[in-house]
Amino acid sequence: MQSQHDHDHAHDANAAHRAAPMVDEISDFEVLEIAVRELAIEKGLFTADEHRRFTEWAESIGPAAGSRLVAKAWTDPAFKARLLADAVAACREIGLDWAEPTGTGTPSDYMEFRVLEDTPNLHHVIVCTLCSCYPRPVLGHSPYWYRSPNYRRRLVRWPRQVLAEFGLQLPPEVEIRVEDSNQKHRFMVLPMRPPGTEGWTEEQLAEIVTRDCMIGVALPRPDRKADDPRPVQPARRPVESTSANRAAG
Amino acid sequence: MSAQHRPSSAAPTASQGPKAPIRLLEDIRRAGKTWAELAPRWGVSEPDPPWKTSLHATCECLSAAAVLPVLERRRAEDELGETLYCGTPAPEQQLLALAHTMLTRGLLSEEELARRIKEVRTRLVAS
Repeated sequence: MQSQHDHDHAHDANAAHRAAPMVDEISDFEVLEIAVRELAIEKGLFTADEHRRFTEWAESIGPAAGSRLVAKAWTDPAFKARLLADAVAACREIGLDWAEPTGTGTPSDYMEFRVLEDTPNLHHVIVCTLCSCYPRPVLGHSPYWYRSPNYRRRLVRWPRQVLAEFGLQLPPEVEIRVEDSNQKHRFMVLPMRPPGTEGWTEEQLAEIVTRDCMIGVALPRPDRKADDPRPVQPARRPVESTSANRAAG
Repeated sequence: MSAQHRPSSAAPTASQGPKAPIRLLEDIRRAGKTWAELAPRWGVSEPDPPWKTSLHATCECLSAAAVLPVLERRRAEDELGETLYCGTPAPEQQLLALAHTMLTRGLLSEEELARRIKEVRTRLVAS
């Protein structure tokens, strides 16, 4: 049996296998989260196993399922028709069951799901003006900005301007339809397949269908994948350093 | 899930009103280190604190038990996030809003929460 000492040396020999850095400090917020949860369990509001099941489910979801739905719809017209007709049933075809993790879904994800198809003249974007309803089984957790009052309040009033703030500038002839999610309905956008992807496999196509494309604040592009590095662009007009901040630096 | 629960008899300072500051949570808000502060200090690039998923699960369980429905919780998060806990980053803000709402609804008392926080901290420090 390998000793701990030898084990550590084996790791040091290969820096790529070193453990990722961790926060080795207890925060008041971490303590508060544990305290609230433990008291709720002790009072019988829910059980530790119920909490574990939700945690396990929440850590397993992400936008990959949505990307697969879109890629399959792009390559299989019959599947696309089924997806538009009954999205929850079509999800089961790719192994995604909206009834997880309880058998009846989660309280935050009602099993009413509709896919909105973009056309050359119609672009969809989703929001939840009331709170933060989001198709979590297919897209994972909503980004912070989706939950913000800024996005929720302004998108329904000024969709074209808000989309432009995301870098998506649509020509005036394209109608923008904002679909407001609610406690009973979840939506996802089926964007148009971009040119330059002819002959691609379903797997290749799924890579360019990012989360934001399925919310509707971005369009898929053949040169952009979800795991692409974040672009870093130099400032066009960098702030001139002054004697004051030179001294401070 | 069981919806059986009894509101705590001990009234927290939150009884002054649902939007009044609660001393216990104010102390955490002021002195607590957010993930945005801690992570870069320890060279961690993970965008979310490790307890975030657990917090979401607690919210789901409370909703499934009909103790704190989703819509009511989100409304409270909005109201408190724009007032008392404005300026606190998202996951910490959501946690403070949840604790605040549970206190003002009598699901927890400030005394028992303070006591448990002390116990949890002692346990974590010792481990």
